[in-house]
Amino acid sequence: MLEQLLIFTRGGLILWTCRELGNALRGSPIETLIRSCLLEERSGSASYSYDAPGAAYTLKWSFHNELGLVFVAVYQRILHLLYVDDLLEMVKDEFSKIYEPTRMVYNDFDDTFQQLKKEAEDLAEKMKKSKQPVKAINANLGKKQGLGQKGGVDGGNQKKSGDDGNGDKDGNKTKSYVYENGHTNGEHVSNGEVTVASGVNGKENRSSNTGAFDKDKLQKMRGGKGGKKTNTAAVSKAPKEELKKKPRVWNDSPPVSKLDFTDPVSENGTDNVPVVAMEHGESMMDREEIISSDSDSDEEEELGKNAKIETKKKGWFSTMFNSIAGKASLDKTDLEPALKALKDRLMTKNVAEEIAEKLCESVAASLEGKKLASFTRISSTVQAAMEEALVRILTPRRSIDIMRDVHAAKDQGKPYVVVFVGVNGVGKSTNLAKVAYWLLQHKVSVMMAACDTFRSGAVEQLRTHARRLQIPIFEKGYEKDPAIVAKEAVQEATRNGSDVVLVDTAGRMQDNEPLMRALSKLIYVNSPDLILFVGEALVGNDAVDQLSKFNQKLADLSPSPNPRLIDGILLTKFDTIDDKVGAALSMVYISGSPVMFVGCGQSYTDLKKLNVKSIVKTLLK
Amino acid sequence: MDFEKIETEVKIHVQKWVGEAQLLIQRKPPAQLYVAVAVVVFTMLLLILIKLFKRKTSNTIVLTGLSGSGKTILFYQLRDGSSHLGTVTSMEPNEGTFVLHSETTKKGKIKPVHIVDVPGHSRLRAKLDEFLPQAAGVVFVVDAVEFLPNCRAASEYLYEVLTAASVVKRKIPLLILCNKVDKVTAHTKDFIRKQLEKEIDKLRTSRTAVSEADVTDEYTLGTPGEAFAFSQCHNKVVIGEASGLTGEISQLEDFIRNLVKP
Repeated sequence: MLEQLLIFTRGGLILWTCRELGNALRGSPIETLIRSCLLEERSGSASYSYDAPGAAYTLKWSFHNELGLVFVAVYQRILHLLYVDDLLEMVKDEFSKIYEPTRMVYNDFDDTFQQLKKEAEDLAEKMKKSKQPVKAINANLGKKQGLGQKGGVDGGNQKKSGDDGNGDKDGNKTKSYVYENGHTNGEHVSNGEVTVASGVNGKENRSSNTGAFDKDKLQKMRGGKGGKKTNTAAVSKAPKEELKKKPRVWNDSPPVSKLDFTDPVSENGTDNVPVVAMEHGESMMDREEIISSDSDSDEEEELGKNAKIETKKKGWFSTMFNSIAGKASLDKTDLEPALKALKDRLMTKNVAEEIAEKLCESVAASLEGKKLASFTRISSTVQAAMEEALVRILTPRRSIDIMRDVHAAKDQGKPYVVVFVGVNGVGKSTNLAKVAYWLLQHKVSVMMAACDTFRSGAVEQLRTHARRLQIPIFEKGYEKDPAIVAKEAVQEATRNGSDVVLVDTAGRMQDNEPLMRALSKLIYVNSPDLILFVGEALVGNDAVDQLSKFNQKLADLSPSPNPRLIDGILLTKFDTIDDKVGAALSMVYISGSPVMFVGCGQSYTDLKKLNVKSIVKTLLK
Repeated sequence: MDFEKIETEVKIHVQKWVGEAQLLIQRKPPAQLYVAVAVVVFTMLLLILIKLFKRKTSNTIVLTGLSGSGKTILFYQLRDGSSHLGTVTSMEPNEGTFVLHSETTKKGKIKPVHIVDVPGHSRLRAKLDEFLPQAAGVVFVVDAVEFLPNCRAASEYLYEVLTAASVVKRKIPLLILCNKVDKVTAHTKDFIRKQLEKEIDKLRTSRTAVSEADVTDEYTLGTPGEAFAFSQCHNKVVIGEASGLTGEISQLEDFIRNLVKP
């Protein structure tokens, strides 16, 4: 049974809620839906799962973009209600007929709703009983198309243009409806069949298989496996402690006898090495970037060219006419060429393919049914919507003021611990030194902890940086357990009064299970204040995989019930990409954590903040 | 010299044109001429009037604050006098130009107020910059019940508003409105004011606020060296209380009416 059906405006006012289904919803599913899904530009997916203590709901939604309304249906997850999509569409049509912007109370809608609900339930019953042969259509399963198409229905197949071939895979999931002649909804033609895709389960499965996730889902998974997890973790920990750590063998080469090359003599001879002056100037973090606001006219021209090339098939006359007169309302087929062009452009800017796809779907969901103002092209409307969506995603969800956090930790009397994680070769050690330099410029005392005990030369590298910056470094050489080294480093920092401890870890691939386990152990043992994922801007589609697997492994392999996930991203090697800045977008979208620093060179001052406006401009150029 | 030749040539041409124009004017009947001149003068007057209008103070009030502090409810209280069925997190700003609901009963012509409710969700912060330049006053809504857990976030947002270019340049008055005071566990406005001042003081030291208003100067909020207090701000900052759900918004309405004269 449906738990709740809500109609509210995009500005936040609730217009109507079903009064009969009076059970109060546990937790706040609608708020969570808005915050974690609709505002995160994931409105293209089919449904959203919400877990509260004592209840598990699934939420489905539909937009009416012209009037700015959102329709949300909530039901228990264990009941796979099939009629919810259709019900939402029917409710949407009926309500848009009686909606007026000035009217706030819609009590008369109750009866209409009951009627619609009954119809939808009957339909579902009928469908279950009679298994109609399914007309194979290419269903773009994420869209809330269905009955809402005005004028697009006239017998025959309604082929939805979509670029994923899910229709073939999930053929059993697509359903076809036959409408009775006496249907109240006048727009639906009674003759012929209308094949409608109900994007119920296909997209859900797909989204859960791919790496896309949100933290709530992870937490939910975590909570569900809590009991079992501790046992397995305990079991796996026990034998590990018995086995002594063996040196890593990469090929069939014979194991190296001794890896710890730290020369006990040289540690005392440090004062012979000349100390390079620390003053390299102001770190670029503190410099405000001046964005050049050049005219958008050349952008428009280029865009115009692309749009014209795409729509040449339709004939230039109709496009001219449409752009001048203003179309009645946008539907999928109109948006598609513009969206495809935009998606290709994003991908040429090195945005991961999956992310570009999801973004385009989300923008489509927010533009469908909207009326085009006259003298605007479809492409410019789509561009504006996409720009807004990008700004929304790249704007951090929480404050990224590290100085404030450092001062707060200082007031409490304990050091602020930052852990740098990432795959091999992204620049963790280099950027760690840059962050240390920046912090030093703000009169914060820093200490480095060399927990990369695997790579030859890592400890020496950090030692050189520490010498140049004149800050203490805590090291224990090679072949030691990084978690223990980090723990002792933090203790040392509390002893000598350092404000910040920067912990360097070894690079590891995201699917290397034992290394990820070691990392989660380090995090669990030390509970750092900030976990920074260091990713390079050159990465392509692998960014999605790296981040999602890192987060997943941190969640799964942690023995605590509330695992720590990645808090922020440090984007490196930004100076090597000219305008292919898409990696920033992929990383932020997939993990939800903000970009805190951007490394743009190899000297100490080359660290800056992410400038959202300029990135969005570059992405859409 | 070449210059002189060109000069004389230009002079001859200009004289020819002037002569032709005079002939044209003399040919046309005088009525048309007068009409043409009148139209030109009229449009010029109109443009001047419009410019004068623009210089008048705007009647825009911006409602801002953290997500969940009650801005949308206050907006609908101001407009309709009731909160209807409740609200959810806003995804878009709510705008409206209307006469405050409590004043619809008053006789006489009252100037309508343009009120904008900007979403408080951090992802939608950019919307605030669209409305601040035209604002006559800003209302920063604070949740008095859930104040302490959100104290840091609220003070950071308030700090951003106080150091925004438009606010600094035009000295826009600010009302810090403690909402939800009908609840028993709500904090007093003095407590909230002290906490906010403390937090902003800490923020001042940890941030180098280079205001966009003046790139040459560094803009420090308040007087450096002293503990921060709202009275040190160049723009007027007042604190008030309100309850969106019950409809007690008299302090808010007074603030609005002080700024937008009826």
